[in-house]
Amino acid sequence: MVTREDVENIALLSKLFVPEEELDGLTQSMQEIIDFADAINNAPAGNEGFDNINNLSNVFREDEVVPSYSNEDILKNAPEQAEDHFLVRNKE
Amino acid sequence: MGTIAKIHDMLTSKECSCTELTQGYLDAIEKANGELNAYVKVTGEEALATAAAVDKKIAAGEDIGLLEGVPMTLKDNMSTKGIETTCCSKILTGYKPIFDATVWETLKGQNAVLLGKTNMDEFAMGSSCENSCFGGAANPVNTDHVAGGSSGGVASAVGGNIAPYGLGSDTGGSIRQPASFCGVVGLKPTYGAVSRYGLIAYASSLDQIGPITKSVEDASIVFDAIAHSDKRDSTCVGNSGVTTYDKLNNDIKGMKIGIAHEYLDGVRDDVKEAILSAAEVYKSLGAEIVYFDLPILKFALPVYYIIACAEASSNLGRYDGIRYGYKAAHYTGTHDMICRTRSEGFGEEVKRRILLGTYVLSAGYYDAYYKKAQNLRGTIVSAFNKAFEQCDVIMAPTVPMTAFEKGRAVSDPIETYLTDICTVPVNIAGLPGVSVPCGFNQKGMPIGMQLIGKSFDEATILNAAHQYQKAAPEKFTNTKWGVQL
Repeated sequence: MVTREDVENIALLSKLFVPEEELDGLTQSMQEIIDFADAINNAPAGNEGFDNINNLSNVFREDEVVPSYSNEDILKNAPEQAEDHFLVRNKE
Repeated sequence: MGTIAKIHDMLTSKECSCTELTQGYLDAIEKANGELNAYVKVTGEEALATAAAVDKKIAAGEDIGLLEGVPMTLKDNMSTKGIETTCCSKILTGYKPIFDATVWETLKGQNAVLLGKTNMDEFAMGSSCENSCFGGAANPVNTDHVAGGSSGGVASAVGGNIAPYGLGSDTGGSIRQPASFCGVVGLKPTYGAVSRYGLIAYASSLDQIGPITKSVEDASIVFDAIAHSDKRDSTCVGNSGVTTYDKLNNDIKGMKIGIAHEYLDGVRDDVKEAILSAAEVYKSLGAEIVYFDLPILKFALPVYYIIACAEASSNLGRYDGIRYGYKAAHYTGTHDMICRTRSEGFGEEVKRRILLGTYVLSAGYYDAYYKKAQNLRGTIVSAFNKAFEQCDVIMAPTVPMTAFEKGRAVSDPIETYLTDICTVPVNIAGLPGVSVPCGFNQKGMPIGMQLIGKSFDEATILNAAHQYQKAAPEKFTNTKWGVQL
C-alpha cells in the first residue's frame, strides 16, 4: 500500500517537490504502477541471479594518459560560474 | 536497391551534387516539419558545409564511401559537439555538448551529412513521442496518429522522406516500436554491439543505439558502420569483425523460425493475421516455422519497468542545475535550488519514473522489487537461450496494435506501458531485434513484425528480414512527404 507519506518521503529522496494538490493523484498513480509491478511476485522463484547479460563482462583496457578538456570547455554549459568554478548558489 | 545505395549511385554518377541533394532535403524539411514535427533542430549550415566537402572530393575524382554525402539525422539524446542536445527536456535546454557521441564521431568521420536532431519522448521515456517538451512527432502515414516512441522523430523523418536514415536508441522498444508505427525498418542491436559513449543515459543496462531506415539493406549498411568496439565504453565489445551486409542474400532455406504462443496473446487480430501471413511467406521461402511456449514472457513488462526506472532514478540524479542545463531562478538554499530545478525542469512522466525507481530501490522494498526483478531477468535470459536451441530466429509482433491517435497515450500510464509488451523482452535479455513492415490494418496503418536473434547474431535476423522484404515488397510503404528519389 503506497501512502501519501511514502510519496512525500520518496520525493524527498528523489529531490523533487510534489505540490500538495498533486499528492493524492500521484499516490494513486504510484499505487497503480506498484500493483502492476507486484505481478512479479507470482513468478516462479527464479534463482539464476543476474550478474551480466549473456556472460558479457566489462571490457578493460590499459589506462592511457590522453589530453582532457580545458576548464573553459567544462564550464561552457554551466548555468552560473564564478572564478573558474561552477557556482552552486548565490549567498542569500 | 536501398535508399543509401541509390543516393550513393546518384552522387557517383553525378546525377546530382551532394549540395543539391542536401538542399533538397533541407527544403523538404522546411515544408513538412510544421506538420510532422520530426525535427527539433535543423543543422542546415553544418549539413551544407559537409556536402560541399563531399562535392569537392567527387569533383577531384576521389572515391567516396557508401555513407559519404548521404544525409541523415540523430535522435536528440546523442551528443553532438557544439550542437544543442536536449533529450527533448526543459532541463537540458541550451545544453551544447563539448564532445561527440562515438556513433556520430564515426559517421561524421565518413562525411555523413547531419540534417538535424530529431524529436523524442523526454529522456526516451514514452511510447508516443508526446512526452517531448517540443510536442510529439506525427505519423507520416496519417498525421492524426502518433509516430510512436521514444524515437518518434527519427521514424517520422525516415517514413516522411525528410531523412534517408537516422539513429535512434532503444531501451524498451524505442527504435522498433516507432519503426513499426511508421512503416519503416528499425534495428535494436545486441547489448554491447554499438558504443553508447555520448548517448545520454536512461537505463544503462538496457539502452542501445541502432538505425531506423526505409529498407533492411540500409539498416545493415548503417549497423556495419557503427558496430565496433570503443575504448570509452567498457560495455562495448563491437561486432568482432562480423559484417551483416555480405550475408543479406544468404539462402534461408531450412532456417528455423520460432513463434512463441505468448507473443500472440492479447495481440489485435489484424496484427496477428499479418504475423501469421508473414510466417507463410517464410514457409514459401523454405524456412521452417516452429511453435513453442515462453511462459516467462508475461513477467517481462513489470521486470522491465522496475529495472528501467531504478536505473533512471540513478542516472537522472546528475541533473542538479549546477553543471549544465536549466537552473531554477529563485531558491532559498542548495537543497531548495536542486529540488526546484528538477521539479521545474523534468516533465511529468520523467518524474513519475524517478519516483518509482527511487521507491523500488529504497530500504524495505529493494528485495521485493529490484532484487526480485534482477533474478527474473536471469530467468528470462535462460528462457531465451533455451528457445534458441529450437530455432535460429524468433518471430513476433513488434507492437500488439498499430499507431494510436494523438492524445490517447497521455491519459493512462499503465495502458501506454502495455504497448511495450512485445519489445521489452529483447532489452531485458540483451538480444538483437529488428522490426520490419509486414502489412496494414483496415485504416492503412502499418503493422510491424519483429525478428529476434541470438546474441551478436544480427547477420541472421537481417538476412531473414531482407529475404522477406524481397519476397513481400508490397508490405513496405511510401508516403507523400519529402524527397521522392
